Amino acid sequence: MQEGPVNTPAHLHAVPIGGSPIADMEIAARCRRGDSHAWRTLYDRFAPVVYRFLSAFGVPLEDREDACQEVFVAVYRSLGHFRGEARLSTWIYRIAARHASRTARRRRVRSLLSTLLVREPPPPPAPDPSERSERLQILDDLVSKLSPKKRLVLVLFEIEGVPIEEVAKIAGCPENTAWSRLHYARAELTAMARRRIR
Amino acid sequence: MNERSWPGTSGSDPAEVFLRRALDDAALRAPDDVTLRRGWTAVAEPVKPPRARSWSRSWSWFAGGVATTAALALVCGLWLWPRAVATLTLISPVTTPRAPAQVAPGARRLTLEGGVEAQLGSSGVMRIEDGAPRVEKGEVRFSVPHRPPGHPFVVRADDYSVVVVGTRFGVVVNDQVVGVDVDEGIVEVRQTATQRRLARLSPGQVWHSADVSVETSGAPAPEPPAPALPVSPAVSAPASAPEPGHVHVRIHDHRQAARPAARALALATPGEGSATAGRAAITSTPAGLSTASDESANAARSALSAGDAPRALQIYRALALKTGPAAENAAYEAGKVQNERLGQPANAVATWRRYRADYPDGILRVEADVSIIETLARTGDADDALGEANDFLRRHPDSERRAEIARLAGDLYRARGDCRHAVGAYQIVLGASRPRDVVEIASFRRAACLVRLGDAGGGEAARAYLRTYPTGRFRTEAAALVGDGARSVDGRARPQ
Repeated sequence: MQEGPVNTPAHLHAVPIGGSPIADMEIAARCRRGDSHAWRTLYDRFAPVVYRFLSAFGVPLEDREDACQEVFVAVYRSLGHFRGEARLSTWIYRIAARHASRTARRRRVRSLLSTLLVREPPPPPAPDPSERSERLQILDDLVSKLSPKKRLVLVLFEIEGVPIEEVAKIAGCPENTAWSRLHYARAELTAMARRRIR
Repeated sequence: MNERSWPGTSGSDPAEVFLRRALDDAALRAPDDVTLRRGWTAVAEPVKPPRARSWSRSWSWFAGGVATTAALALVCGLWLWPRAVATLTLISPVTTPRAPAQVAPGARRLTLEGGVEAQLGSSGVMRIEDGAPRVEKGEVRFSVPHRPPGHPFVVRADDYSVVVVGTRFGVVVNDQVVGVDVDEGIVEVRQTATQRRLARLSPGQVWHSADVSVETSGAPAPEPPAPALPVSPAVSAPASAPEPGHVHVRIHDHRQAARPAARALALATPGEGSATAGRAAITSTPAGLSTASDESANAARSALSAGDAPRALQIYRALALKTGPAAENAAYEAGKVQNERLGQPANAVATWRRYRADYPDGILRVEADVSIIETLARTGDADDALGEANDFLRRHPDSERRAEIARLAGDLYRARGDCRHAVGAYQIVLGASRPRDVVEIASFRRAACLVRLGDAGGGEAARAYLRTYPTGRFRTEAAALVGDGARSVDGRARPQ
């Protein structure tokens, strides 16, 4: 029987776990200095996150890739303003959220214009028949019906797993407000899901 | 409020069960490799190191206001200006060159609206039409400062529009063949009449409206094909042939191609250029090599679709002997074919290791590492898998796959009864915080390991699991662990 404190293999502590403020500051500083390796690291670390966030936030499939690239261009251009007061992930989520809202606004205007000009809307992408994809499509549809503020809090907390204090920072509201938005978003989503499934 | 209790998975409410599953699916949603590679290609060289803000915010606002006022004045001026001026041909520059002394003989430099610099080649002819420059003939190179969102800079050439946000690029018109090459940033080429996007170009890429039509993997997918002329018999047909009466626009990612040759290709006027003008293609150099690589990659994919995995492997192996992105991709794909199609995991691992040796910082390095670890674990080679997993955790501190690999390492340690190391690995998963199901499993297994070790924190870890996942899939076992943890601490008896 082995006794005593639980040891962790040395290499498992040799590097900071992704997302720690020190690593964030260092990676941002290196990017600012034009270190292409650091930029690549940042991209590898956050591209899947940004892509997933944009998907959950309702950016349509055909715009998602471009939107993701544009977020990274915006991140690069704004790295000079990153002061390390928040986590890098929080800061990037904030940029992505702003960008997603802007994209949605532009899309609404485009769709309105195309309606007014009686132009044929682009055909929707071919549906994926798998059960998982169907579930995701329904979820995307339901989430898109939430107000942007509630949607942001729900996506960050429930899908991205961001702690509520970070969610509040990203949404730019007090923590209690974030909880409240989450509560109402959950209630609305459950009600919509019940109606949909019935 | 119990933040993790929603939605429940008790099974009584199908809507809640559906939402739980859908949210879990959404948490695992990830872009595929090709999307990530395309994205990286687009943002890899997003210009120069960003500068820290040097002006105060108020000054920026003030400058913005001045710029807006000036832009409004300019728009009004253009609106009121006689129509004839709007189509003035700039054969003799009307805008004063910023630095005439630096202008090369036979060339002219113009400063256009918004600080855009246009350098006309010796035979370049440019016209301002409806406020936007149109390249009539010869070569003009543009340097466009960053534009505000929604205000792209547009250059017209023949039937095409080049749309940019902020970049350096060149446009050449030669016997109705339009060529575009990009030095910095990203530009889009559109059909002026339909505004359909024909291509999105990154630095180093070249597009021209002549006859060549080739494709490589890892390239941005174009929008639906634009209406155009019939395809010349000289052009090889793609795997999925375009509909008749449509052009198939394809893009090359050719970062490793030699720039001067690429430029030469864009500037060359193919003999049949005027006959085939309107057909669009993006090419790179060396064109022959790239075309061959692309055809090989397509042939390998076709062989796989047809179920001929040995043939696909043969093609990928031959392609991997070459250089460039297609060869790198082939070096990795060969392993996938061996593993997934031919049932040769040991050979696949060897192939991926060869890939790592050839491309130690390759774009698929993480994928190769993960594939090796998963394959070794699946085939029961736990020692080797653990060695690879530990290397991975050391080498990729920021990887999104870190949690996944740490969990796998934890499971392997646990399976061999090494709970101490398993706890350390699970700890990494919990630190990585996602994806949700990986964290849940690690959270429970860590608690189980701690209880098994007789650690005082075992019972508490199991209680923490139950608090976080009250309806989790291990709730019954976790509840049992709480009791076991208390007993093992009291009597130092280890649960079985």
